[in-house]
Amino acid sequence: MAENILEKLKQTILDFDEDAALDAANEALAAGVDPVEAVGALADGLNELGDKFERMEVFLPEIMLASDAFKNALSVLEPEIKKRNTEGQKAIPVVIGTVQGDVHQVGKDMVATFLTTAGFDVHDLGVDVAPSRFLEEAKKLDAKIIAAASLMSTTRPVQKDLIDFLEAKGVRDNFIVLVGGGVVTQEWADQIKADGYGQDAIATVEIAKKLLHVA
Amino acid sequence: MNGKERLLAALRGGATDRMPVLSVCQYATYELMEKTGACWPEAHYDGEKMAALAAGGATVLHLDAVRVPYCQTVEAEIYGSKIKDGGKKQIPSIEKPALSVDDVPVIPENFTEKGRIPAVLDAIRRLKQDVGGETAVMGSIVGPFSVAANIIGVSALLKASLRKPEKLAPFFEAAEKTAEQYAEAVINAGADAIVIEDMMASLDMISPKAYRELAAPYEKQLISFINKRVPVIIHICGKLDQVILDVAATGADAISVESAVDVREAKRKFKENGISTPVFGAVHPISALLEGTEEDVAQGVKKSIADGVDAVSPDCAVAPDTPIKNIIAMVKTVEGL
Repeated sequence: MAENILEKLKQTILDFDEDAALDAANEALAAGVDPVEAVGALADGLNELGDKFERMEVFLPEIMLASDAFKNALSVLEPEIKKRNTEGQKAIPVVIGTVQGDVHQVGKDMVATFLTTAGFDVHDLGVDVAPSRFLEEAKKLDAKIIAAASLMSTTRPVQKDLIDFLEAKGVRDNFIVLVGGGVVTQEWADQIKADGYGQDAIATVEIAKKLLHVA
Repeated sequence: MNGKERLLAALRGGATDRMPVLSVCQYATYELMEKTGACWPEAHYDGEKMAALAAGGATVLHLDAVRVPYCQTVEAEIYGSKIKDGGKKQIPSIEKPALSVDDVPVIPENFTEKGRIPAVLDAIRRLKQDVGGETAVMGSIVGPFSVAANIIGVSALLKASLRKPEKLAPFFEAAEKTAEQYAEAVINAGADAIVIEDMMASLDMISPKAYRELAAPYEKQLISFINKRVPVIIHICGKLDQVILDVAATGADAISVESAVDVREAKRKFKENGISTPVFGAVHPISALLEGTEEDVAQGVKKSIADGVDAVSPDCAVAPDTPIKNIIAMVKTVEGL
């Protein structure tokens, strides 16, 4: 039974079907499926679609709709996961956003979603986020991690601006700063003295855990 | 041959003394702003400043062509999309799309008298006078598919392209009509050629099927309108291999591609199909121009030429923090061959 539901969840992602994803998530909870496992099945679907995307067999619109389907299912599963997480230790707060001047959303959303499912308490500041706002929110939430995305060659320097801003405010060492996005490389992350570089959503979760020693 | 003669000959399939070198997309950098005394954001709004910065492409960089404007938001702004100013360091971007997919677009009256178009036209007239004797002056307009994306938002457009493509036609039709008006004004202001940037019509964004059905027909209609008078270079980002013949079928006088495209294979397909459209490209704007050495740039130029490009250009927009010595190295390498 559970196997069937997990398979169904994955299929809703491969079909990028928002409504079916929500139904399947509800069905999973009703049947007592572990919500973390349910999210895992959805993530399998996303990964499979991601591979097809790499091979140019599916394209961005399919990924975006699949991501919507994922979020829809997550809206049901996530509260359940949070409930269980709070029974254990407190989730680590993270602020995430796309840097100022850049309005790309899809990749950043994907990272936010994966961080959430990995048990982080994610606060998504959206797109076009000024360095001052990253700091303000991070302070307010007592965040350990600031994750900043840039998807354009013209906005990549803003990741450096963010780090310089934190330096100037004397709070650089209070936060782990992760950078990522299509135009970002490990080399660039090193150059601007970011703490970590996330090549994709999964890599970002791994580096976040590694830097916090919670792997 | 001067730069203008060279580029126009290449676009018309004629002989040239050497390969043309230009930047099909924007090439303004912070250093060029310093050298020309014309900076962003003023150069996005003021015709005189816009022309002064673009002229640096001829006087400082020695490209065969200059071009304006620097961003891709001019058309969408007139349709009512809210623009976010990029300040000194960035180009203007879309803050809030004007319409939703369910709205019906209305073509603004007197389109070419609105927004920043008068400044663009003023800049073209100035460039024509200041550097246009020797250098080709290009006006850049945004392709209908990409204008539609800027009017209703990229996400909304991409999702609709899959779920309800029929809702998008009115937006493409409106954007094509206003592009004709804009192009005509740009030609009347003296442009020698027009660049159509249809960056969203990329396979990074949509499927080959969507390109063929939703983007190419409007590109073709627009190009057949423009190239009765001046040649058209079409620029589409990303890995275009699967649709390269369709891009050629739009009738463009040249296709500007990124290094992600297999130029060698594209030229082979063209030959097989009796297509002679020149391909421009493909020096990587990040790994070569922004982060590379002059030697890396030279290698990029040589590789592009070996692959069979008909003119050398950066892949895509030059990042504004690119050192101009690297752009000059691109030009010098071509000149030295």
